Amino acid sequence: MKILAIIPAYNEEECLEATVRNLEATCPTVDYLVVNDGSTDRTREICEQRGFRCVNLPINTGLSSGFQTGMKYAERHGYDAAVQFDADGQHLPQYIPVMAQAMEQNDAAVVVASRTLANEAPTGARGAGSKLISALIRITTGKRITDPTSGMRMYNAQLIREFAHGFDLTPEPDTLAMLARRGETIVEVPAHMEERQGGESYLNLPHIVRYMARTCLSILMFQWFRK
Amino acid sequence: MSLMLRILCVSGSLVTLLFITSNIRRRKVQIEDSIFWVLLAVALLVVAVFPGIASVASQLLGFQAPSNFVFVVVIAILLAKLFSLSTEVSSLKHRLNELAQEEALLSQEEEENNSARQA
Repeated sequence: MKILAIIPAYNEEECLEATVRNLEATCPTVDYLVVNDGSTDRTREICEQRGFRCVNLPINTGLSSGFQTGMKYAERHGYDAAVQFDADGQHLPQYIPVMAQAMEQNDAAVVVASRTLANEAPTGARGAGSKLISALIRITTGKRITDPTSGMRMYNAQLIREFAHGFDLTPEPDTLAMLARRGETIVEVPAHMEERQGGESYLNLPHIVRYMARTCLSILMFQWFRK
Repeated sequence: MSLMLRILCVSGSLVTLLFITSNIRRRKVQIEDSIFWVLLAVALLVVAVFPGIASVASQLLGFQAPSNFVFVVVIAILLAKLFSLSTEVSSLKHRLNELAQEEALLSQEEEENNSARQA
């Protein structure tokens, strides 16, 4: 199984190198692609000096578009699966083979690395948001996804194609809901995650409000009508 | 429609037409995108000059005053225009991202080919 780890990076000079080194050392058979999403710091220089495989977007286009760039690369190079992998060191590469195995065994479209199944459910406001999204998915699709906001997800070849050509497909929980409703197999594996090791979090209030509004609207209203 | 409102509509419409023309002169907007505004200004002008149109329409549709009818119609048209701008922004965002992605993937491929040739 040919696997590509897509590492979106926007101003991740602090931990990108450690993340990639760890990935290379732990999973030498897994290819990776850093998607530098128009960073204004030294992200690009770090990739070029260290010889990391990297594409550089000329402008900052946002996480969805950065991830889509990776999916286009995966499609054009014939990968069987692609995994979303954070640059900030939260995600641990040793789970990639576990996820791949779960994908093959269950013939799954998506495999999610679940903190909840590893008894590390997110707490506080983040946990509340996660529970709300999980409940909405449960109500609208009947499927149980214990950790919908986990950013570590593996997609099969069919979904690589769909993401590569999508108009508004986000690598976010609302897409999980849409896929669940469509009857795709979504499997979760228990996974431990680290705290972010550096760089800046997107988690400021306006961003959270917009994220929750978009996710809830998409799951509650638009998923019934999207093609 | 009161005389005052008619004067307001006529002058508003004329100012709009002048404003559009000056923006085209200064290359701020393309002629294609000005069509909507020219038509809107002309429609307003026609209604102000011939207020009978608004009176008849408001009676037929049960509005208490022709001015209310004019306001409702203008607001509805503007909302529709606003939404169409949102769809245009979405489409532009999508196409801009596609361009940036293709550029990024192409230069990566080129680099890969170059380093393969050197090796």
